[in-house]
Amino acid sequence: MNSDSFVMIEGLSKVYLSGTIRVVALDDVSFSVAEGEFLGVAGPSGSGKSTLMNILGGLDKPSSGNIKVQGRLISELNKEELALYRRHQVGMIFQSFNLIGSYTALENVAFPLLFAGVAKKERNARAEQVLEEVGLLPRKDHRPSELSGGEQQRVTIARALINQPKILLADEPTGNLDSATSKQIVQLLADLNRNQGLTVIMISHEHALLAEFANGLVQLCDGKIVGRQKMR
Amino acid sequence: MRISDYIELSLCNLWKRKLRTFLTTCGVVIGVGALVCMFAFGKGVQKNITEQFNKVDLFNYINVSTRGGGREPGRSHDPDDAAWRGQEDRTADANSPRLDELFLQEVENIEGVEAAFAELRFPAQIRLGDKEQFTLVQVLSAATCRPMPLRAGCCYEPNEPNGVLISDSLVRRLGIDEPSAAIGRQIEIATLTLDFSLASLLRMVLSPGDQALPVARQSYRFAIAGVAERMPFGGMGDAYIQPEAAGAMRKLSLTSIWEFFRPAGEAADYSMITVKVRSPKDIATVKKELESRGLRTFAWIDQLDQMRTGFLIMDMFLLAVGMIGVTVASLGIVNTMVMSILERYKEIGIMKAIGAGDKDVKKIFFFESGVIGFVGGVFGLALGWMVSTVINQVVNHFIAKQGVPYMSYFSFPWWLCLGAVAFSVLVSLIAGIYPTLRAARVDPVVALRHD
Repeated sequence: MNSDSFVMIEGLSKVYLSGTIRVVALDDVSFSVAEGEFLGVAGPSGSGKSTLMNILGGLDKPSSGNIKVQGRLISELNKEELALYRRHQVGMIFQSFNLIGSYTALENVAFPLLFAGVAKKERNARAEQVLEEVGLLPRKDHRPSELSGGEQQRVTIARALINQPKILLADEPTGNLDSATSKQIVQLLADLNRNQGLTVIMISHEHALLAEFANGLVQLCDGKIVGRQKMR
Repeated sequence: MRISDYIELSLCNLWKRKLRTFLTTCGVVIGVGALVCMFAFGKGVQKNITEQFNKVDLFNYINVSTRGGGREPGRSHDPDDAAWRGQEDRTADANSPRLDELFLQEVENIEGVEAAFAELRFPAQIRLGDKEQFTLVQVLSAATCRPMPLRAGCCYEPNEPNGVLISDSLVRRLGIDEPSAAIGRQIEIATLTLDFSLASLLRMVLSPGDQALPVARQSYRFAIAGVAERMPFGGMGDAYIQPEAAGAMRKLSLTSIWEFFRPAGEAADYSMITVKVRSPKDIATVKKELESRGLRTFAWIDQLDQMRTGFLIMDMFLLAVGMIGVTVASLGIVNTMVMSILERYKEIGIMKAIGAGDKDVKKIFFFESGVIGFVGGVFGLALGWMVSTVINQVVNHFIAKQGVPYMSYFSFPWWLCLGAVAFSVLVSLIAGIYPTLRAARVDPVVALRHD
């Protein structure tokens, strides 16, 4: 395994108790991601994809194993350090968008900057800039309920981009979208990957999309890696 | 995060749930309002008492009496108690000097003493036109009564022996509404005396049901020189006359029951004299000097510590009553914040996912509690002030009819105003501790999984 990989995962396991039953979500998973890779993660429900994503995103801690991002051992960070990691190094995109319903698109996008201590004026300026990048500036004053699914996902992508992270983590970003919109969203992620050199890790059920846009693929089943391939 | 952002965010979040925020804040407003009222009342009472004491410079006075024979304020002796009477006879004769005019002059020569005068009071009937009032007349020299605050007129001069100073409540009771209208009016002071003349005794024996005591009435004419704003020494009398005038009157003194049995013609010893010192600093030395002469002394300033303890107990009691409302209000805050956190469970998850630390989340909810506390504190203070103003007006309206001058029964020192708001914020922050910890504990993985 290449030691200067951008993201390196070694012997990662996650076990949790569901009542009295011990559930193994991830079982000794190891793989690496190169800088600028668009990695697809595929697998059936319950295969541990989301758990992997949460650990990569610094929301959850592994039971054992190491994760290194840009040479930094993420699995050893404390709570506050993890918050900083989430704030500055990764941007997360969710299937159900996870936007705050009472905020406008602009406010949702600018929200992460609040925790970074950026002044309001600059927050808004930067949020407008990112909204423009995802093609949603004209809709900046609309609330999520007034936006289509595709538009909401663009807002989520803009929010993930606002702190200029190196990695985008997308957990089934097209799960709630029709096929045409899905393609547009994945296209947007691919563009960001290509034009800005962002490393994208995307979970998806849709093999056609992964085949079209991803340049690497990890296949999970029952918490284990059953396939790792480079596609182009 | 910046402080301004925390404030803006918490105001924004609270505004989203207007009704709930309003109701919770109302609870705080009422709680703080009640507390402020209670405290302001306690402070007002204390301020009035202390001010009144200072006004009549009560702290410059020492009451002096013979050991055993004198009465201490607030304590009375049963003259039938043989043991006590025996003690009085023994000690008064053996050790104590006689409290008479000579002694007064002697006391005035003690270093630090400004004046010494006998304290005499006697009951009398005061008549103006067809109105009659029964009251106590106090004997005070012109020099002593001069610093008294007056409503109208001026204090009597030593050369006008028939001048009298009366209180404005007595003026009202005598049917005069305007104090200045009373100046110069002639009043009649009628005293009661024991009449042991043969005719009177015969009358008592012959018709026992008619008259219990051989009492006679004697009238003296006085002119009102001034109307006092309030009576000093706790208002022990409603009229003041000079010692010279009092000396010329036949009267029953109330200073001691023994006066009843004093043989006619014998010069009266005072049972108590009052010594005025130049400043409260002189109290201790003068007291020591008087005590070394075998006298019993009593100074109001010694009661100050006891008064302070009393004030403290009063404060604690009012505080305890006032805290009931604040406690209920703080439970309201806990309830509101917990509800808010349950509703915003997912929002907290989102905040954490996009880079908020536990500390950020805690602070966001802390600020929301704090804002409720601050707004509640400010409006609570306003409410407390309004309610106490209304109560003050109503009370003054009713007691003004009895001739009591306008008084503010509530006091709002600056520290009470600042303290009320600060306390409200503090209580709200304490109420916010549990909800805040709960918010920080939210697991983003679980929060984001729920849709």
